[in-house]
Amino acid sequence: MSQLPFRFRAAHAIQREVTRLAAIFWVVPIAFIMRVLMRYHIKDVAQVRTRYRALVKERKHPLLICPNHLTMMDSAVIAWALGGSWWYVFHYSRMPWNLPEYNNFASQWPTRIGAWITKCIPVIRGGRREDVSRVIKRVQHLLARGETALIFPEAGRSRSGRVEADSVAHAVGRILTSVPGCQPLCVYLRGDRQRTWSTIPARGDSFYIEFEVVEPQSDHSGMRRSRDFSRQIVDRLVGMEEEYFASR
Amino acid sequence: MTRDEIFAKVVEIVKPFVKNEDALAAVNDETNILEDLKVNSARLVDIILNFEDEFDIEVEDEDADAVNTVGDAVALIEEKLS
Repeated sequence: MSQLPFRFRAAHAIQREVTRLAAIFWVVPIAFIMRVLMRYHIKDVAQVRTRYRALVKERKHPLLICPNHLTMMDSAVIAWALGGSWWYVFHYSRMPWNLPEYNNFASQWPTRIGAWITKCIPVIRGGRREDVSRVIKRVQHLLARGETALIFPEAGRSRSGRVEADSVAHAVGRILTSVPGCQPLCVYLRGDRQRTWSTIPARGDSFYIEFEVVEPQSDHSGMRRSRDFSRQIVDRLVGMEEEYFASR
Repeated sequence: MTRDEIFAKVVEIVKPFVKNEDALAAVNDETNILEDLKVNSARLVDIILNFEDEFDIEVEDEDADAVNTVGDAVALIEEKLS
């Protein structure tokens, strides 16, 4: 893993500290919006958070959260479901860095500032490889420092409403193979009223969430190894989705 | 292997992933694989792995980052074969 240029390391250190100090002013209000204004509900939330907190306490490795992707609010709902709000204020490295689509979240100044404050690194999906690679290196750097990141292993929101096994983002495997000890946490999230993809989940929706650490394997090296890792993660998400529908 | 032969093989490998057939008909060194040929970015990795198989070379992620155009791909393969 090549070292990130100083200016990016400095920029991340500043972003992390400023947003950490401001966490109480954005983490708690966002949770309030989801819980009170949007009336979202997480099923078995106490059990989910107990399991997640035990998991991160037990495993000291960097964690890369790899969820399915149906709405533009998935990362916020997942973070809230797993950790709550106040917990992140005191365990800030566990508040995941997000990689939102630049055109959705950072193309205008107000949203760009909002993305910066909420621990985001905007990326143009399908953009120039050099630009995407720069973002990947930033995530590698943050994970190597013990931070948590969230990246969707499908290459965008699923248009079919189901995990799309053919749509695999190579970046996930590339990050996992380059950060020593980094472990992927597959997360399956779905609102009861979520039929297909959308911008935001329906108000009052109730979310099922399940997660597990997976250990991808590959006999290959280089890009082939990264691809194998990415595919295995998406395959596991497909399996988690099948389990979800089978249990209904 | 000559540069023209590499170019022809690169186009052959890229072809199944192309969504813009008109751009493929006029393909040249400057043709951007993602923007002009409308190849899905997630499939670019498959294309590069096909280069590895076809030309018996190994491409690292950092090498692949420099591949934007068909000419970039040809130059990378030439470099790996030399």
